[in-house]
Amino acid sequence: MADKPLPTITDENRPFWEATRHGELRLQRCRQCDRYRYPIAASCPRCLSLDAEWAAVSGRGRVFSYVVFHQVYHQAFKDDVPYNVVLVRLDEGPFMFSNVVGVGNEQLRCDMPVTVVFERVTDEVTLPRFRPEEDR
Amino acid sequence: MTVAIVGVGATAQGKLPGATPLGLQVEAVRLALADAGLDKAEVDGLLTQPGTTASEGARNYLRLGEALGLAPRFTASLSMGGATGLVLLQLASFAVASGAANAVACVFGDAARTGGSRFSAAAGWGDSWGIWGMFSAAANSALTARRHMHEFGTTSLQLAEVAVACRRHASLNEAASMREPITVEDHQASRMVVDPLRLLDCCLISDGGVAFIVTSLERARARRRRPVAVLGVGQANSPETIGNPAWWYVPHQETAAQAAYRMAGVAPRDIHVAQLYDNFTISVIVWLEHAGFCKRGEGGAFVEGGRIRLGGALPVNTAGGNLSESYMQGWLHIVEGVRQLRGECGARQVPGAELCLVTGRGMTLNCAAAAVLARG
Repeated sequence: MADKPLPTITDENRPFWEATRHGELRLQRCRQCDRYRYPIAASCPRCLSLDAEWAAVSGRGRVFSYVVFHQVYHQAFKDDVPYNVVLVRLDEGPFMFSNVVGVGNEQLRCDMPVTVVFERVTDEVTLPRFRPEEDR
Repeated sequence: MTVAIVGVGATAQGKLPGATPLGLQVEAVRLALADAGLDKAEVDGLLTQPGTTASEGARNYLRLGEALGLAPRFTASLSMGGATGLVLLQLASFAVASGAANAVACVFGDAARTGGSRFSAAAGWGDSWGIWGMFSAAANSALTARRHMHEFGTTSLQLAEVAVACRRHASLNEAASMREPITVEDHQASRMVVDPLRLLDCCLISDGGVAFIVTSLERARARRRRPVAVLGVGQANSPETIGNPAWWYVPHQETAAQAAYRMAGVAPRDIHVAQLYDNFTISVIVWLEHAGFCKRGEGGAFVEGGRIRLGGALPVNTAGGNLSESYMQGWLHIVEGVRQLRGECGARQVPGAELCLVTGRGMTLNCAAAAVLARG
């Protein structure tokens, strides 16, 4: 059976995956216009600056939208259905895809507060996922 | 702009064993030439969308040009998913208006059904969304649907209204693939694909070819068919996906529709019939909002009470759409717009249709286009 897709670690994204391995969520922040950005990119899509730092973020956000997969589109997820995918809006602004763990799919709601958790998948890759957070 | 669609061609649709994207493109061009009463030698422009199973990809214009024995002085291939047909209509209109070409054939052909295209890939560059199990075009629209439900109270029953209307229209179209009428209950009983979207919220996967020919209104008037004028056409895009906070709601659709209206000098209330891109039912609801037929968030309520069915205030997707006619990535929406304005649609004809809005949307909610067509 096919394995689940894993990130291809490159020079560009290595700081992101090294941070998650150490239990931290870091995103690029443009040094010229101060904006956080995600997806990971070589330059800032706002001001086009190449100058960025990998800044730690709170790992807190809200579920902007979510879906539950019943259809198996990738054989490696055959035993996971029904599973959720969420679009999280981090408190710092950027959106990320992820999964919410520790709660039934039927309890998911738009705008529910969540906080990041880290799940080790391989020696190299630790995936950021999210769990519900008490109302705040 | 004094440009017109002078001929349309659509091959058989559905499951066509043995058919190739190239063969279907050639057949569609042959039909469009016959419809227009044009000789092949009069075509000096060729614009194409490569089928999802066409191995040559962006070189499709070469293969098709070779197969058609053309020597175009204006040609290109473009891949913008379900926006491509309308964007090529825009390019063809510019070419004709500027004199770069006299008659431009715009062509799509695909063997997605028999060729096994599944539209299931994960979107995103680099760190693919598939890491989190985020696959398929359906999931992108399911995210839109969920947020729309949350913000505006849109319901699955309202999504069902779109599916039922398209199927009812397809039942009046002999060329449609899915003609057996369905009910709201059928929709609700269909299996969940990506919650909140069910099977009957999803478009078909089809084989087929479609072509239309663009020329000047003046030249078109000398031909056998009533010309259909391209009054306005616009596109707008958001190449950023989740980097754009408004991406889920595809507000660039509104920009594209407004550009088409502005160029045409008409308003939403002037439109008699609309062909709105329906890869999933939610897309019709969002397009109704962006095309100005109702306010933001009111698309769900708009489709109730048969308003988008034939006989309703705004008949939508009168041939059945991507949901029930055939999934030609919106190209058949253009063909149906032309046929409605010519008055050729028989049992599904909208009486007195003089203005039609056609919309398209493609890739990962990135590309949007719209056109206002008028009886010439």
